[in-house]
Amino acid sequence: MSGQHIHAEPTNFFRKHVFSVDHKVIAKQFLWFGLIWLGIGGVMAMMIRWQLANPGEPVPVIGSMLFPRTNGVLDPATYNTLFTMHGTIMIFLGLTPLMIGAIGNWSIPLMIGARDMIFPLLNCLSFWAMFLGGAVGFISLFVPLGATEAGWTGYPTLSTTINGVGSGETLWAIAVFLIGASSIMGGINYMTTVIRLRAPGMTWQRLPLTVWGIFLTSVLNVLFVPVIGSAMLLLIMDRVFGTTFFIPASIMQGAGGGDPILYQHLFWIFGHPEVYILILPAWGIIGDLLSFFSRKPAFGYRAQVGAMVAVTLLSAVVYGHHMFTTGLSAMLGESFMLLTMIISVPAEILFFNWLHTLWKGNLRLTTPMLFSMGVIFVFGLGGLTGIYLATIGTDIFLHDTYFVVGHFHLTMAASALFATFAGIYFWFPKMFAREMNEFLGKTHFWFTVIPLVTVFCLMFVMGYAGMPRRYYDHTSAEYLRSLQHLNKYATHAAFLLGAAQLVFVYNFIRSRWWGKPASQNPWEVGTLDWTMETPVPHYNFKEIPEVFTGPHEFSNPDIPDGKDWISMTEKLKA
Amino acid sequence: MNVSSAATSTLSKEEVRTRVDVTLGMIFFIGSWTMAFGTLFLSFLVLRQRVGVWPPEGIVLPSFPLATVATLILVASSLGLHRAVRAWDAKGGGGEREQASSAQRDWAVGVGLGFAFAVLQALLWADLLAAGRFPSSGLYESLFYGLTWVHAAHVVIGLLALLWAWIGLSSGRYGPNRLSTVSNIVIFWHFVDVVWIVLYLGFFVF
Repeated sequence: MSGQHIHAEPTNFFRKHVFSVDHKVIAKQFLWFGLIWLGIGGVMAMMIRWQLANPGEPVPVIGSMLFPRTNGVLDPATYNTLFTMHGTIMIFLGLTPLMIGAIGNWSIPLMIGARDMIFPLLNCLSFWAMFLGGAVGFISLFVPLGATEAGWTGYPTLSTTINGVGSGETLWAIAVFLIGASSIMGGINYMTTVIRLRAPGMTWQRLPLTVWGIFLTSVLNVLFVPVIGSAMLLLIMDRVFGTTFFIPASIMQGAGGGDPILYQHLFWIFGHPEVYILILPAWGIIGDLLSFFSRKPAFGYRAQVGAMVAVTLLSAVVYGHHMFTTGLSAMLGESFMLLTMIISVPAEILFFNWLHTLWKGNLRLTTPMLFSMGVIFVFGLGGLTGIYLATIGTDIFLHDTYFVVGHFHLTMAASALFATFAGIYFWFPKMFAREMNEFLGKTHFWFTVIPLVTVFCLMFVMGYAGMPRRYYDHTSAEYLRSLQHLNKYATHAAFLLGAAQLVFVYNFIRSRWWGKPASQNPWEVGTLDWTMETPVPHYNFKEIPEVFTGPHEFSNPDIPDGKDWISMTEKLKA
Repeated sequence: MNVSSAATSTLSKEEVRTRVDVTLGMIFFIGSWTMAFGTLFLSFLVLRQRVGVWPPEGIVLPSFPLATVATLILVASSLGLHRAVRAWDAKGGGGEREQASSAQRDWAVGVGLGFAFAVLQALLWADLLAAGRFPSSGLYESLFYGLTWVHAAHVVIGLLALLWAWIGLSSGRYGPNRLSTVSNIVIFWHFVDVVWIVLYLGFFVF
């Protein structure tokens, strides 16, 4: 531990704020970057919802500004671009930088008692690789013939030159490749840091659950993001150099072509672990926060860690459930179905542990606590509906309907987003040395959770009624016209959801510069990040702390001087 | 691999710690990249199954003798670099003059053979192009060019890193801590070597 140097604080503006190697600065860079992209992706979602409720009508307010050629009407190609880029942006440029980049960078060194990440330069490169990826993705929106229209999954032959003739799809693949490179760099850094730089006494069984979640996510990042990287390389070669990895022989006049289904395998070998890449940090964060704000130890700490490890392992062997309709052999299909069902066992273990953490707790319903409880709720809804999609018989009917859209938005998107918000509200006082407004935070929560559940539960109904995803105009089909009023309800709810985010933006900006100065430990918790002074000094810990207790020693009768919490650096009474 | 030998040498406790840190990072990197090349090789195997006859009839294949020589050269390059790093490690970066000069020689041979491999790889492509076989000519060409391109990109990065390390070594600026960097670059080069052997077996042997 003494091997960690204390470098002088840089005075040059570029070294300090732009190309900084300090994990705290990089965390804030990821935070701003992710929030901006979350906003862009959110506006795209609003336009998609507008088109679904009012097909062919001009988008109000921003429509004529963004699409002057059509007087604000979304044409089918633009609509395709919007849902494709919405998915790509939210996953790769919104949630990934926020959850893994910002919260990961912020919490790992501070929570394990390290002065910085183990490879600070790699950390800096990781942010700038992602920035470059975002820049390429942004540029692709403005190239001739438009951005990608192939869906966020980029299936060939939609994504090969046969359909996507412009350079948009190629730029999309390059962007995903660069963002993947960023994730791998981050993953290697996080794993090595957690293994090598834990403070004395910070055993694996005292590691905060947040760090466990991000650690396991890093393992998945390091193992499975390279798979999408390679798939993107092959796709780029198919588009640019005329190779035929994913282009079938029937299209190539029989000259021994490739296989589009191969791409789907490669994509989902990555794509399913990606779901858990986003959800594991969320589970870790709420595992900690539910304990902190129930003033009780996290119930079944070891069971929670074990369940997260089990999910990490299982996530690698279930990807086939995305491909039940591709003509997978019956034996393979049934194997994937069974393995997918098995994942619900560790997921249930987590659920019961969270609920038992809350049970008879001395609940403090702060904003981070509300969002953490929100994760249990929305992930529960999403997880239960996943059973129908894991079952081959029902999946063949529900495949590519709005049922799927509702399901993955609740599991992956909403749960990860809620945990991100919980994390931001929770660490904000340490990050910016100011408090966020609690009233606005709670307003944000309630106006987010109710419309959000409304939107996606309506999607279950519409999907079950047979409404396919990615259609430009559902009213063109007779049997879907009767669903149009539900689409309108969903859109109104979505607009309310969008408006609620403005409350967050206002609260965030206002608190960042004009908020009440935060005390050192406003939440009264014992993890190492809150033992430090506020604002956190450059290079964190002057003396590397020694850890004597676990992260969740709340309401323990052996805590000295009558508090209900104890810092990890303090000893319990003998 | 070099961790245990480093621990018994003249390195201080902190230097050993740094060596373990960076080697661990490198092991994760290699694990990650194994998945990346594993994906490419999986695609190779899957697409190969799609074709009844392999290699497809009536096409010009890349030169088997040239590829075999390239393989041997790359293996020799890895061995030379491995010997150099082992010698430097045993002496903790400084060391007796004699030992150092033999290590310098091994290093030079290793890097030189690395460049020789790059030239042979270029010749393999040139041969195919001269025969009128392009990346767009068919599935075999897609796979051969595609996979060797990705590998060659790593060869180029590896050679640049080796040269960069060499400049540092010959100017004597590298203490024992910097040897960790050199050792890591050589681990990367061994990985590039192993990937090539797998590609060689796939395209030329089986």
